[in-house]
Amino acid sequence: MADKIKITIDGKEISVQKGSYLLDAVKKTGVTVPTLCHHKDLTPTGTCRLCLCEVEVRGRRKLVTSCNYPVREEIEVYTNSEPVVNHRKILAEMYLGRWPNVPAIKYVAEMCGITESRFTSNLTDENPQACILCGRCVRACREFALEKIIDFAGRGIKRHLTMPFGEVDPHCIGCTACAFVCPTGAIEIVDDLNHPLDPQMIRDHGMKVNAEMAVLDKDQCRMREVGTANIVDVMDAYDLLPVHNYQFGTHPETWRINSKMLKARYFTQGQADGCWKGCSMACAKTIDDFELKTGPYRGQKVCVDGPEYETAAGAANMGCFDADFLAEFNFYCDTYGIDTISAATTIAFVMESFEAGAITTEHTGGLELHFGATNETLELLHQMADGRGFGVDVGQGIRWLKQKWVKEYGADPDFLHDIGMESKGLETSEYVCKESLAQQAGYGMAIKGPQHDEAWLIFMDMVNNQIPTFEDKAEALHYFPLWRTWFGLMGLCKLCWNDVVPADNYATDEPHKIPEHVDNYFKFFEGMTGIELDESKMLDQSARVYNLQRVMCRMLGYGAREDDHMPYRAMGPVTVKEYESRAERYDKQLKEIIGVDPDGKITEERVGILRRYREDQYEKVMDAVYIRRGWTRNGVPKIERLRELGIDLPELVVIVEKDQE
Amino acid sequence: MCRPKMSQRSFTESAGRVMSKILMKDLASISTRINAEFKQYKAMLMVCTGTGCVAAKGFDVRDALSRAIRERGLQDTFLVVGTGCNGFCAMGPIVVVQPEGIFYQKVSEEDIPEIVAQHLIGGEPVERLMHRDPVSGAINRTMDEIKFFSKQQLIALRNKGLIDPENIDHYIARGGYESIRNVLESVSPDEVIKEILTSAIRGRGGGGFPAGVKWQSAKEAALERKETPYIVCNADEGDPGAFMDRSIIETDPHTVIEGMMIGAYAIGAKEGFVYLRKEYPLALVRLQKAIDDARACGLLGKSIMGSEFEFDIHIHRGAGAFVCGESTALMASMSGQAGEPRAKYVHNVEYGYRDKPTVLNNVETWANIPVIMDKGARWFASIGTGDVTDNPWGGSSGTKVFSLVGDINNTGLVEVPMGVTLRDIIYDIGGGILNGRAFKAVQTGGPSGGCVPAEKLDMPIDFDSLTEAGSMMGSGGMIVMDDRTCMVDIARYFVSFLMDESCGKCTPCREGLFSLYRTLTRICNGEGREGDIEFLEELAKTVNETSLCQLGGTAGNPVLSTIRYFREEYEEHIRNRRCPAGHCKALISYRISEGNCTGCTLCAKQCPVDAIAGEPKKIHVIDQDTCIKCGICYEVCRFDAVEVQ
Amino acid sequence: MIVVNERTRLEWRDGMTAQDVLDAMGYRFSLITVTINGEFVPKDDYDEHRIPDGADVRAIHLHHGG
Repeated sequence: MADKIKITIDGKEISVQKGSYLLDAVKKTGVTVPTLCHHKDLTPTGTCRLCLCEVEVRGRRKLVTSCNYPVREEIEVYTNSEPVVNHRKILAEMYLGRWPNVPAIKYVAEMCGITESRFTSNLTDENPQACILCGRCVRACREFALEKIIDFAGRGIKRHLTMPFGEVDPHCIGCTACAFVCPTGAIEIVDDLNHPLDPQMIRDHGMKVNAEMAVLDKDQCRMREVGTANIVDVMDAYDLLPVHNYQFGTHPETWRINSKMLKARYFTQGQADGCWKGCSMACAKTIDDFELKTGPYRGQKVCVDGPEYETAAGAANMGCFDADFLAEFNFYCDTYGIDTISAATTIAFVMESFEAGAITTEHTGGLELHFGATNETLELLHQMADGRGFGVDVGQGIRWLKQKWVKEYGADPDFLHDIGMESKGLETSEYVCKESLAQQAGYGMAIKGPQHDEAWLIFMDMVNNQIPTFEDKAEALHYFPLWRTWFGLMGLCKLCWNDVVPADNYATDEPHKIPEHVDNYFKFFEGMTGIELDESKMLDQSARVYNLQRVMCRMLGYGAREDDHMPYRAMGPVTVKEYESRAERYDKQLKEIIGVDPDGKITEERVGILRRYREDQYEKVMDAVYIRRGWTRNGVPKIERLRELGIDLPELVVIVEKDQE
Repeated sequence: MCRPKMSQRSFTESAGRVMSKILMKDLASISTRINAEFKQYKAMLMVCTGTGCVAAKGFDVRDALSRAIRERGLQDTFLVVGTGCNGFCAMGPIVVVQPEGIFYQKVSEEDIPEIVAQHLIGGEPVERLMHRDPVSGAINRTMDEIKFFSKQQLIALRNKGLIDPENIDHYIARGGYESIRNVLESVSPDEVIKEILTSAIRGRGGGGFPAGVKWQSAKEAALERKETPYIVCNADEGDPGAFMDRSIIETDPHTVIEGMMIGAYAIGAKEGFVYLRKEYPLALVRLQKAIDDARACGLLGKSIMGSEFEFDIHIHRGAGAFVCGESTALMASMSGQAGEPRAKYVHNVEYGYRDKPTVLNNVETWANIPVIMDKGARWFASIGTGDVTDNPWGGSSGTKVFSLVGDINNTGLVEVPMGVTLRDIIYDIGGGILNGRAFKAVQTGGPSGGCVPAEKLDMPIDFDSLTEAGSMMGSGGMIVMDDRTCMVDIARYFVSFLMDESCGKCTPCREGLFSLYRTLTRICNGEGREGDIEFLEELAKTVNETSLCQLGGTAGNPVLSTIRYFREEYEEHIRNRRCPAGHCKALISYRISEGNCTGCTLCAKQCPVDAIAGEPKKIHVIDQDTCIKCGICYEVCRFDAVEVQ
Repeated sequence: MIVVNERTRLEWRDGMTAQDVLDAMGYRFSLITVTINGEFVPKDDYDEHRIPDGADVRAIHLHHGG
């Protein structure tokens, strides 16, 4: 991975990554080389020629632009040899002759030892904010905003910058990436449509993210390349991808629907979605000209908006490892207005129930709903939309189905409750939280139901081991739901918080919070409103709404301790088969954590021991979280808490006063 | 794609053949059949229809000849073939009667009846239309007797004047597609590369890079990254005065196709592109026809000649930019972007067209390939200069096509072995300087090259010696200049060309050329200053050494080479406000010498601004204030009475 | 013996690198921060940086869900 090469710069030896640009190495040795067209967050083009250095390769010397010269062999570099210095002088004269009053030019010319020029002509532009044709704006438009709106026109000395046909292009949304990178101020921002108090503050912080996307994304989450589908690959690798109704966390056929497959054979478009046209993350992906095989639009070629992680993981959950199915499922859910998560989790439940014999083809109207039954699943979807057959029932969701099947088909209620992945009536989203107590609570204790937009703590808990105690978990379950609710309230996307991460995030005090990015959001808020924010002010702002939501939830009958539980499938192995699929791990836990020797015990016994332990753990977490949140033992906001937040309105107090301790 | 109005369908007898798939075993029999057909004719009349002769009404000559023969009912006795460029463009339209080889020049429609009656029917060639040696005056009946032709060695142009470029059968009859057939049957791709390496053929487009090395690098990159490489033919030919590539395509498009096929086979490519400049409409017609015919015969596409080899070629048109002859700009243009070059620290053989390994070679380079594979690398390497046994850079092997233009008698296209001297080309082949004037310099290599003076006339022409002399081979343009050429103005001309063609991306080329142009203009206008020459030298060097691509990278050469060899001329302009060659308008005046003027009034009548006053039979006078120095009076005076001062 | 994320014990061997630890743990995610005894190890150095016996290795994953 790290192929290093030793090179010499002005006599100093330095080891650099093979293929890296020479200028980066030169900078590391402390040498300053004049540049104009170079920008740390843009692809270098080597057009200003100022960064020229002499390079000796295999005995021959040549001049190269260090900004984009890839170091591939052992070389000797001279940054200040006589030819270099002399050429730089003439180049500096050329710049000064053309644009004598531009500060960036004067600065660079002085660096080269030049204050006068023999190149003054009828083309000399006295404007101190003249465009110096460095081309940074063109690159920023392409690499930050992923557009192609500003570019050069005119050959040779007639070269100038323009938009197509010399007009202001309607595609330009004024993202100001071009102005941000312009070294002279030649690009002016003319409009601010919703009049923020301090637009510069918003731009400065937003631009940092744009720059990060241009430089870091391809080595981080690859949002521009494959969008959230990259998460399929990661979850499968860490045993967290829901498979067969959350029984397992990985599958040998995941490659059929992972980001590699989707990118290679399916995705045709990638750009910013309707959410924000200027977004440089551009995570939306689509599949053009996809021919549908079923349903009312059968035979037509359509554009599929997606798939995103959740839909792909939903397919895995249903055991349907087939990208054609995935695309069609995605399309029809969108077209019918059906949430893909709820549909997939519900159908996965139906499939497991079918395979366990809790329901039969008699109940399903003949549909053989095994895991992986792609055609039957699509048929079910069409039934749901049409309002016919078994689809009518399935469309009611897990909670309704459980009740019906127990009542009318005599199904085992304990089994169905254990495997029906819903809480508060909402189907669980597509992550296996079995091995993360914090995430179980993250799902179970979320106000709206098991949706991970309140908390996603699986890595912090399970992998990083950063929240080992109940108090640690409670702290995380206090902070993250509030933080995540907050930017949702602001109408800001979550992705630029932690789907790209600054290169130096590791060095911060709380890297899991991505503090620089959190600060960006505060600055967006302050730039808009003039109000300064910090963590504590933000948490208060959010907590007001969060607690209001909880009180309303209580009012609707879902907001107490008993409602904050998850089915056991979310917490541990329900069946013998599940236990035995990870026997080594569970036996180890029995021995090392619970202190019980699994030897000599049959699997059913071990399942029971583990279950009791885990359920007990969950209760303890709930206790800790309620305390941290300022709620009663029954999970209802205390009136002091409402008062503290300034929302102890009579309408709210009347709902919670009978729950107070 | 627009078709020019002069598009002419091939109309030789065999052209009506239904195109059917040719398998490997079929080539030989087709060749035999066509040659036998040719033998049935008493004579074949090869009428040159290269662009030069076409401009001189070559199509009309061909059509008139054909009509005349038909009218006499002799179409089974005499075959008229419109061929590509013969090379002797100064003497066009050209008709060669084969197999005798009788050479007719400057043929017009009016000459046709005489040719038919006297030569074809009567058996007596028409001396009036033959070439005369410019020095001895002797008549040269056949091509072999004409020095312009006899001193050449033809490889790339081996089929010139002998085939109809729009008839694939003619190419096959001359051994065409035999080379690729043999390669497909019994030579491995790596062996092909080895052969090309051994031939040491260096790029004919100007770069002089060994083609074999290029092919090998591309193939290695393709294998390593498991990617399919591309083949590209650079037919952008932008140098002023250069028309080698145009002629090769107009004369023998199939050799280019065959060369590209061999290259594709060698490196594992499936697609090839020809980037053809927009300004070559006839070449486009001929190349497209050749590609269409090759496809129809199964020589392009899948299962070529029944083998497993597949390859196809598409033509991509340029749009009027000299810089698109630069390989990375060319590929950008093909990709739909503005034709601007990029840094070449990572070469095209690694990341070229569509970021895939790409071999880009010039038209002439491709034209040589079938012959190299046929006659062998050692044969090819034995022609030329230097020792290329272990190292293709050790010399210049093979031949080179040069376009000889300017103040020379025999303007045209020649192909000679590397190592022939400038003197041979200019005096033997070129027939010496026009109007008997003195030789001053020859510009080689186009705007990237430099001027070579008389003292270097005995220099053998090859890549390295030209570079040492401050010029370069370039694509083969040779502009001969007589003593009335102002070298400062020549530098200015080339700089102005480059300034117009510079893409403008990098500062030294964009700003530097502009400044060079302004300075040279000032000098030519008599406003030169002390220190200008030093400034030009300094600036030209910086432009050369700091520009991003080879347009700027060689742009200083015209300036540097003219200063190197003709510094006094610059100094005359600057210090004495004089143009020794009598060219720069600001520095010359036209005066009528009283000694010679006969008062014929011709100059006064021709003067476009009525600057000449005078009565008939009286001395005429030029009004210096009105005179615009167009030089017409000088041209028309028959008494040498007009002097340039 | 080295400890990863204060929990998992791994057998140490001479010449063990940061990349070896990631491989042993099956950690393939792209947004990981590695520290060895509190010292940050850049990604480029994973397969060169040697781990001493008894080291406290943290491999912090940054991902927070879709």
